[in-house]
Amino acid sequence: MLSTIIDWIAAHPYQVVGLVLPIVIPLALFQILPLLVLMERRGAAMIQDRAGPNRAYIPIPFLNVKVRGFGMIFNLTDAVKLLFKEHFTPPFVHKGYYRIAPAIPLITGLLTPALIPWFSPIVYQGGVLSGQTIDANSGILMLFAMASLSVYGVVLGSWASNSKYSLLGGMRASAMMISYEVSMGLSVIGMLMIVGSVSLTDVVEWQGQHTWGFVVQPVGFLLFLVSMFAECNRNPFDVAEGESELVAGFHTEFNGVKFMLYMSAEYLHMIVASVLIATVYFGGYQLLPIPGFGPEWVKAHVGQVLAIGLVGMALGLLGFVWVIKNRKAIHARSDSNPQDKAERAKEYGLYMAVFTLAGLGLLGAAGASWALINIERLGQGWIDFITAAVQFNIVIAKALLFCWLFVWVRWTIPRFRYDQIMDLGWKVLLNVALVNLLVTAVVAKLIG
Amino acid sequence: MKVRTPQGDTLDLMTVNIGPSHPATHGTLRFLAALDGETIVGGVCEMGFLHRGFEKMVEQGTYSQVLPFTDRLNYCSAMINNIGFCKSVEKMFGITVPERCIVLRVILIELSRIIDHLVCVLANLVDLGALTNFWYFFNVREEVYRIWEKLCGARLTNTVTRIGGMYRDAYPGFEGDVLAVCGKVEAAIAEVRGLIEYNKIFIQRTKDIGIVTAEQAIAFGWTGPCLRASGVDRDLRKDEPYYGYETYQFDTIVGTKGDTFDRIFVRIFEMLESVSIVRQAVGKLKPGPVNAADARVSLPPRDNVYHDMESLINSFKLVYEGVRPPAGECYDSLEAANGELGFTIISDGGTNPYRIKVKAPCLTQWAAFAPMMEGHMVADVASALGSINIIAGELDR
Repeated sequence: MLSTIIDWIAAHPYQVVGLVLPIVIPLALFQILPLLVLMERRGAAMIQDRAGPNRAYIPIPFLNVKVRGFGMIFNLTDAVKLLFKEHFTPPFVHKGYYRIAPAIPLITGLLTPALIPWFSPIVYQGGVLSGQTIDANSGILMLFAMASLSVYGVVLGSWASNSKYSLLGGMRASAMMISYEVSMGLSVIGMLMIVGSVSLTDVVEWQGQHTWGFVVQPVGFLLFLVSMFAECNRNPFDVAEGESELVAGFHTEFNGVKFMLYMSAEYLHMIVASVLIATVYFGGYQLLPIPGFGPEWVKAHVGQVLAIGLVGMALGLLGFVWVIKNRKAIHARSDSNPQDKAERAKEYGLYMAVFTLAGLGLLGAAGASWALINIERLGQGWIDFITAAVQFNIVIAKALLFCWLFVWVRWTIPRFRYDQIMDLGWKVLLNVALVNLLVTAVVAKLIG
Repeated sequence: MKVRTPQGDTLDLMTVNIGPSHPATHGTLRFLAALDGETIVGGVCEMGFLHRGFEKMVEQGTYSQVLPFTDRLNYCSAMINNIGFCKSVEKMFGITVPERCIVLRVILIELSRIIDHLVCVLANLVDLGALTNFWYFFNVREEVYRIWEKLCGARLTNTVTRIGGMYRDAYPGFEGDVLAVCGKVEAAIAEVRGLIEYNKIFIQRTKDIGIVTAEQAIAFGWTGPCLRASGVDRDLRKDEPYYGYETYQFDTIVGTKGDTFDRIFVRIFEMLESVSIVRQAVGKLKPGPVNAADARVSLPPRDNVYHDMESLINSFKLVYEGVRPPAGECYDSLEAANGELGFTIISDGGTNPYRIKVKAPCLTQWAAFAPMMEGHMVADVASALGSINIIAGELDR
């Protein structure tokens, strides 16, 4: 019995991967959340000229080192704290909705990755393995529908809370969602018009054959970016939370795990939004913004592409070792407590050793990949999967750049007022989107 | 809440409590707003949540024992309160403090003004969601607090003055520290101005919000930066100079409109003027005594106490009984960071004050808040409230 299953799996690798991917990809995205939280905290500290998270640690028993992970441990402590908090339900809430609401944004956030093309379609004997789990004809429309469902969680939660601050927050969120959905949809139509399809795979394939979307649709890109900020409820559009006006807005009455669900959904939506921007306007899984380096080229040179990527990562790690060395010197200079100083020196020494080894290991892996990964040695199947993995990582790398943009903007500019957001959405963005659409339509018709 | 307007329409309003414990109210203040959608139709201000009975408590102690209480009035600029109180008591006595003490007090007043304005502006910007500015200003404030620590050992509640002088002379190197801080203040202000001055969102959020015209401001009895933001050129340092302010070169910053934007920028430019005053004052700082040589208020030199009967008695009387201002009533005020800070002191000739009444600049500003907010939105409450700088300790006393 078991051997037949194994035999079947070995005989049908593409089908098996196609079954597993819909579960693996959302989980993989979920793993980026802690990284994003760390990015937010570290980025804030960097922009704001302060130390940032550096207290929570895990003691390593035999080495006698406290590993702080540059604030990474705080993610763990946060999660543990929120999970083990008392599940307090305020007496005045609508209990049913109050329990359901926090899950909705997270569920929709986890569903949207199914609609994003993570790698180029793989053609195999007897079928095609698409990079999109749901390769629907409606494509991007379904994605927008999914993404905008998340506001129901916010509105339901705010209504169930039965609190005035929450109600105002939920009202703002719903009004904003409606307003920005319009300009977001219109801004992306320009791109779809040029491509001639609403399927995201087609959009990315077109970008591989011509050039990336932001070159042909710069205005559309900016509109889409702004709308995405609004969709994610991020500063300067975070009026639904508006912590100085509405205490905490829609999640004022939520605590513990329910609060954690809202927060992780917010970050998940940030990732999805970044992935979407990268997919529609920054070439998705395409490597370079010039034609001739499409999926076929990557597949033919996947060993070399992987090697270059690994060398880049290795150089990043070795550069990070240099940063740690500087930080170590700063701590040695400025720490007044000798015990503290010794601990930091030890901890940073450990990091430097680990990261140097990891960097060298990556360099070795890069060499191995350059020399060993080729179609003669591995066969078509492995090359297909390695290419898919490389393309997935290209998307994630582009998305992380946009995630950093989200963080950067949040800590730089003030928050809009609710009515000003409405003005911007209806009086500015909508009009610009319509003009952009018109110009695009005319030019697309003229050029053909 | 159903309300009938004077025109006979019925409005369905929602009331929202902003405060007493709410992130927008720095301190315990309560603003009960009646909302139509998100627009504030009307509101009621309430105060008294931080009432500690300051004016009754101070009647129980001697004049010197009042000083630590004054720290707790406007805790963002405690030294100005110390100096204001001492100035009033000195006026009762008719004492002139020595030149070095005056210049030191001017430096302390202006540095306190700077940190008070820093806190006001940074808190206001945090309310607007521009969180990063908080740290750019707070780091400088920390530098000033380091000077405070060196000067008197305390950071927030300094009690740095004494009736007739100072707690002690400035430490060696004080001038250098002060000048270094001046440069840092200017750098921080340049940085924050770079972030907000031409920022469209900031301008949209603050322009034409919470307008108080010059007539209204005078009618409400406003003083200080908020009054000047409304376009009234009134500054006690210029109009009723004390401590030789007439000899310093500085400008009064006057706004045009009296909106939140004006109030923020009047404070920012006033900080720059204060920096210039501090620099001039450091140049005027000459060696000399810091306590008035007046037996009624100042302790005699230690050496005399040990070798001179009269000095011993004098010291004994001052320590065990305290100072005794002549019977009578006296009001004296100075330009504090927030406006005119005045102390009315009634003395019956005894060692305890018969009555002390504080004229707190916040009080009149808080009184104007509800009419100021009519017709604005909920989000504007945070920005406007930050810009009038209500310090609950001073408001409720």
